[in-house]
Amino acid sequence: MLRLLARVLLLQAFLAVSVHAAAENLQLVVSEPYLEMHSGPGRGYPVIYVIGRDEVVTVLYSRTDWYKVRAPRGQEGWARREELALTKLASGEPAPIPPYPDFASHRWEVGAGYGVYNRQNLVTAYADFSFTDSLDIEAVIQQALGTLDNRYVASIGIRHTMIPEWKWFSPTVGIGTAYQHISEKVPPAPLEDNNQLAYVSVGARGFITRRFMWRFDWRAYVVFNNLNVNEELEEWKFGLAVFF
Amino acid sequence: MEIRPRSVLLTAALLAAVLLSGCSWFRRGGQSAAPAPVVAEEPQGEPSIVEPQVTRRDVHTPKVKAKDFELGAYFGALAIQDFGTNPLYGVRAAYHVSEDIFFEAFLARSEAGKSSLEDVFPGITVVGSSGRQFTYYDLDVGYNVLPGEIFLGRGRAFNSALYVTVGIGDVKFANQDQFALNFGVGERLLITDWLAAHIDVRDHVFESDLFGVTKNVHNVEATLGLSVFF
Repeated sequence: MLRLLARVLLLQAFLAVSVHAAAENLQLVVSEPYLEMHSGPGRGYPVIYVIGRDEVVTVLYSRTDWYKVRAPRGQEGWARREELALTKLASGEPAPIPPYPDFASHRWEVGAGYGVYNRQNLVTAYADFSFTDSLDIEAVIQQALGTLDNRYVASIGIRHTMIPEWKWFSPTVGIGTAYQHISEKVPPAPLEDNNQLAYVSVGARGFITRRFMWRFDWRAYVVFNNLNVNEELEEWKFGLAVFF
Repeated sequence: MEIRPRSVLLTAALLAAVLLSGCSWFRRGGQSAAPAPVVAEEPQGEPSIVEPQVTRRDVHTPKVKAKDFELGAYFGALAIQDFGTNPLYGVRAAYHVSEDIFFEAFLARSEAGKSSLEDVFPGITVVGSSGRQFTYYDLDVGYNVLPGEIFLGRGRAFNSALYVTVGIGDVKFANQDQFALNFGVGERLLITDWLAAHIDVRDHVFESDLFGVTKNVHNVEATLGLSVFF
């Protein structure tokens, strides 16, 4: 008797969970003649099932430009973003499938790249937030690997994109401050191993595809030190980034 | 009898005057006093007479979760040039930008064995024991060259992709950080849509002068890994 009760309770709990899960997924109504389901999230994967007009499709999750969907009878497959965007909500409103972010007015950028800093190989990673279409704040962390020393540089600055509407190539200028730590590789040790820096930069950015873009930057640094001569450094770098 | 029709006429005229007095027809001359608007004042603090009994439907459209990130671990063998082949352990994180392109980051560690020079001449130490740790991080960009399906028997098909990666990073070996390039080729097999198995071969190239001459050393690793999409 107890076992039966336990089973009933378990079943109930399971049903509750599954109903809850079903309620959390987005459900869309196919409004085109049909919606194709592929066996994988890629253009080459074959169509394995077709959902007809006015049938309900459950959207489970997305991967890049593809959405994992479930047909009314339980078959699962991958639908292309452009095709799923043509479906409707039950209320008749268009499906909330977001389009690609507009490159000219995107908010976030995250990227990494290669460069040369003070004639040393440079590994760089950055994040960037846009206040307006043309004014950004960017934070960069980078490691310069040389034969005499290694340098860790963190910088923060603002960047102005001259003509954000230019998609493939748009020049940028920037200004900011940085901090560098030098760890010696070969003696003698550097006179100062922690410095603050300031920089001006000239660069460019451009769109590649979907959410993918490139960045180029040339920077001139001034190192603030307690020595008699001001040290000046040069840096260039090229990076690939994702924008949101 | 002559009076009667007159009195009827008078009565009718009087009645008409009384009846029509309410009409504005009689007030044509004195329009200045506009009718006061009728205001039905509700007593404050009391509920209105008609209360809407409509329960509003809370229309919220569920968000579709994007599972573009991949996090995993791998282990395998790393052939450190001049220092033998040794076990390697690492973690990877990836972000899939499109069905073709992805970004990947690695962090891994291995421990170098003895060089052939040290084997032949036991008295010589090329790298001290603290410097035998081989640690690297890499930032890569990858391209899915050959996406497809792998068939296991009649009824099972697994999505897969052969990919190439290229990247830069830092190799710390013999207590020195070196700038390193890496080139790799790998196969990703999706056991389920969220769990992937990886087979990778990757070469880390950097400049080394441990043996007196500066040369490019190749450090090839072959690894097996598992990763989760989220």
